[in-house]
Amino acid sequence: MSGSAAVSGTASDAVSALQLALTAEQAAAYGYGVIGAHLSGAQQAAATADWIAHQVSRDELEKLLSARGAVPAAAAVAYRLPVSVQTAAQARTLAVLLEDRVTAAYLGLVALSDRALRKLGAEQIRKSALRAASWRDATVAFPGLTASAK
Amino acid sequence: MAADPTRRTVLAATAALPLLAAGCKGVGALAAPPQPAPDVALLRDVIAAEELMIARYQAAIRLAPGTGASAGSAGTAAGSAGAAAGDGTGLAVVLRSLLSQHQAHLARLSARLIVPVGSRYPPALSHRRTPAPRLPSVPHQLAAHLAAAERAASGRLARQLLAAPPSLAQLLASISASEATHVPVLRTAGRIG
Repeated sequence: MSGSAAVSGTASDAVSALQLALTAEQAAAYGYGVIGAHLSGAQQAAATADWIAHQVSRDELEKLLSARGAVPAAAAVAYRLPVSVQTAAQARTLAVLLEDRVTAAYLGLVALSDRALRKLGAEQIRKSALRAASWRDATVAFPGLTASAK
Repeated sequence: MAADPTRRTVLAATAALPLLAAGCKGVGALAAPPQPAPDVALLRDVIAAEELMIARYQAAIRLAPGTGASAGSAGTAAGSAGAAAGDGTGLAVVLRSLLSQHQAHLARLSARLIVPVGSRYPPALSHRRTPAPRLPSVPHQLAAHLAAAERAASGRLARQLLAAPPSLAQLLASISASEATHVPVLRTAGRIG
């Protein structure tokens, strides 16, 4: 299935999937800093809440990696954003893109045999899909999966 | 060394058993009854739940205000509750777009269901008629009823995926998330009516 990442049950597969999710969370945490700067009022408050959620998730992933004896991937100083953000509409578009990437990254955890990581992945997919739907003002049939695999 | 001839005899006899069986019962005995993949029972359960959800939406659309207006957006994106309020066509537009996503779920799940001909499992679910669910007719209660059903379905999928093979688990996680996103849309639509 497209959209899937690691599909196995070894410890190194778990570390790889966790690192991918961590990288996506780090990019999202960075991106929401940009997003919030272009919004106001309730939307800025929503962006701040989502920014904090990604920071908490990032920290959780770092702990999970450290507990497995792995060194969490370092966050970049800056990220090349997938869209230029000059307006509130562009900020919302970026939020959708970031959430979609986070959703796809957590699909890698769902493919693992470790039940706790699978459960964490599914829970995070639900949360990121809800955030994406809120920013998109619409829902999609297959969050995190590519359209071609429908 | 004394054990060797005995062991060889046993091995030879064991190896000959299928041939003997085939000789007695014909070619059919060589082919074991086809077994569905281990995830078939889980997949069929998920498909049945999705069919029930579709039946709920189809019944709800007949009850909802705005029925008879132009159809909601097809494909993967649901029109938002706000958009429905904006064009004045009511709850039915939202329900149609959410229904289209459930139909997409069902199509993708059904595509994965591979049951060998001649297995003990009946081959298709689509011939079975899902009874029309009883639904409240007041719009906000109707939306709340569907929201509760979506929440329950999403939670059930989140539990079922824990026992699924990896790629099916990913699909169930995605569908579970999609159904979770339907809940706030229905709540907003229920307030608008």
